[in-house]
Amino acid sequence: MSGRHTEEHIHTVEGTDPHLFVEVHEPAEGTDAGLRPVLLLHGFSSSTKLNWGDTGWISTLKSAGRRVITVDLPGHGKSGSPEDLDSYSPSRIRADLLQVVADAGARPLRSGDPASGLDVIGYSLGSRLAWEFGATQPELVHRLVLGGPNKEDPLASFDLAAAQRYLADGTPIEDESTAGLLKMAQLLPSNDLFALLSLIEAIKGEPFDPAEAVPHMPMLLVAGDQDERSATMPELASIAAHAGGMVEQLLVPGRNHSNAVTSRMFKDAAVAFLGV
Amino acid sequence: MAEISFPLPDLGEGLIEATVLEWLVSPGDQVERNQPLVELETSKSALELPSPQAGKVIRIHGAPGETINVGEPLVVFEVPDNTAGIVGTVPKDDAPKRRVRLSAVLDED
Amino acid sequence: MSESTTATLEAAARNEQSVKLSMQQALNRALDEVLAADPKTVVFGEDCGQLGGVFRITDGLQAKHGETRVFDTPLAESGILGMSVGLAMAGFHPIPEVQFDGFAYPAINQIVCQIARMNYRSRGKLPMPITLRVPSFGGIRAPEHHGESLEALFAHVPGLKVVSPSDPHDAYHLLKYAATRPDPVIFMEPKSRYWQKGDVDTADGGTLTGARIVRPGRHLTLVAWGAMVARCLQVAELAAEDGIDVEVLDLRWLKPIDAEALATSVGKTRRAVVVHEAPLTSGLGAEVAQLITQNCFDTLKAPVERVTGFDVPYPSGDLEDEYIPNIDRILLGIQRVLEYRRG
Repeated sequence: MSGRHTEEHIHTVEGTDPHLFVEVHEPAEGTDAGLRPVLLLHGFSSSTKLNWGDTGWISTLKSAGRRVITVDLPGHGKSGSPEDLDSYSPSRIRADLLQVVADAGARPLRSGDPASGLDVIGYSLGSRLAWEFGATQPELVHRLVLGGPNKEDPLASFDLAAAQRYLADGTPIEDESTAGLLKMAQLLPSNDLFALLSLIEAIKGEPFDPAEAVPHMPMLLVAGDQDERSATMPELASIAAHAGGMVEQLLVPGRNHSNAVTSRMFKDAAVAFLGV
Repeated sequence: MAEISFPLPDLGEGLIEATVLEWLVSPGDQVERNQPLVELETSKSALELPSPQAGKVIRIHGAPGETINVGEPLVVFEVPDNTAGIVGTVPKDDAPKRRVRLSAVLDED
Repeated sequence: MSESTTATLEAAARNEQSVKLSMQQALNRALDEVLAADPKTVVFGEDCGQLGGVFRITDGLQAKHGETRVFDTPLAESGILGMSVGLAMAGFHPIPEVQFDGFAYPAINQIVCQIARMNYRSRGKLPMPITLRVPSFGGIRAPEHHGESLEALFAHVPGLKVVSPSDPHDAYHLLKYAATRPDPVIFMEPKSRYWQKGDVDTADGGTLTGARIVRPGRHLTLVAWGAMVARCLQVAELAAEDGIDVEVLDLRWLKPIDAEALATSVGKTRRAVVVHEAPLTSGLGAEVAQLITQNCFDTLKAPVERVTGFDVPYPSGDLEDEYIPNIDRILLGIQRVLEYRRG
């Protein structure tokens, strides 16, 4: 752990430490915008480094004077890979995130105080978590930016049994989405496949239902116009708009699910949207 | 003036090539160290490549959509001769600043 | 063509004696002339050949003098200095470069156990006419091992001479002088002073042994070398505003130290402050303070003050401003000496 989230500040949720790797990145010197911190939530089989560091997001936000909280999801990046299944359930992850941001200094929204509250940017699976986090923490979350969002979590339809057979004896996976996701997970030698499969199993137990809990804070939805995984973004937007929230959408030309994340257009839009 | 070529660096994870998504600088631009130069996509992720140094960009290699191999030239910088290749920073010769004043009665014995 | 080569050629064409050169250019020119004058001289080190050195000191020399005279070495300082020993034994006059001060540590065995002792060990049959160039001291915001001050380490080794120029004129002449000595010389170049230009009188180097008064004064002597000389000159100007007339003595040779120059200067001013970037404990400031005390004990008005780096590893980045003696720390050292009263 680094930044402000030091040993002495670790608080466990339900008595267990999820061993999440948290970092707090201070604004670039002399630029502090005096605004609330920004929590970044990365996607499946990615990490803070891949999703937000190498892509230039952290430096962009720091240059914009923002304090940034990053966390590697369980089984990802530098976080631990707990053996129990519950550590991977979205509800438990949301509880851990709440503790993480509180420990990092995020405080409930107070009217007239631009430093209060929390902005959240998610990508892919991180967008699902951000949506639910916003919906369940209205006193804390100020605005949301959801990149590469999907009305349904593709991980929920992942064929676990087929994946395990494939890993055991090479039996080909019939389901195209499952095969694609597993291939993505296997590409990074640093990935803990057991942990990632645990995460999928836990997500299957708590599939994404955006209509069940809808965030009411303003949100910006962003996806590449070639992003097939985010084809349902307009539906997600209408669910949020229907519930009374202010929703903006942005399509990044020529980009797909894996390369929209570096886009300058995406970053500029997010910085502007959250800079209020 | 000297030219310094910046080849596509080893991106780790056994990657041998990257595809140019979008250039964030153009020939003629003066860039600072760590300023983002280009968006690249590999078979594993998309990333933004920061500049390894300050200097003026005089050539860029690879149009959007083109693939570049690790080790092939990506950007060529122009830098003043006397700073080419230097580790560290050329110090500025600032006017002296002081806070301490001397006060002494000099007994000239 | 590079700026330094151009400056050298232009000066030669005009047959000028005094030219304005940076220390980089002055050193480059000195090496060029030594290579031209002495076919036994060879110049080598990491990036010294094709690239012309990370500080451009050997810029253009390989193209001019050939790949057998000016060449690149592997990244192995023990090899660079070990090879220097062999070349010197075979009659060559090596001018190796250790790219940065902190890179000399891996070659300590070759420097201390071979280069420094070979002449002694062979009863004069195998002299070591080696000039080891070491870009030294801090001030350029470089990482670890790129800002260290090793003068006390080298000065402590019998058989080595140690010198550090503080301006382009001395750099030019002292390098040419060192390169023609029969003994090994550690030539410490103050890398933060590489870029500032100064007048170089190529015809008249003046006295090249011993220390040099760079600013005469009546009330106090500031003793410094390398990059600290320029800073002490700034301090002297500021002290003058307060009515204190400071003499600045550039020690230049750190082994042997010019004890006579110290005695003459401090015998006159009766007060001394010695300034160096290296850590305090067992730094060369202690040796200087002792030599002054030994020779000026009866007339000194105060104990010799030392303003130095701290007893910590050299810090990288912006922290070096907190480490290297700054103007205020030197002024405070002067104030302590001025305030001292016996009894």
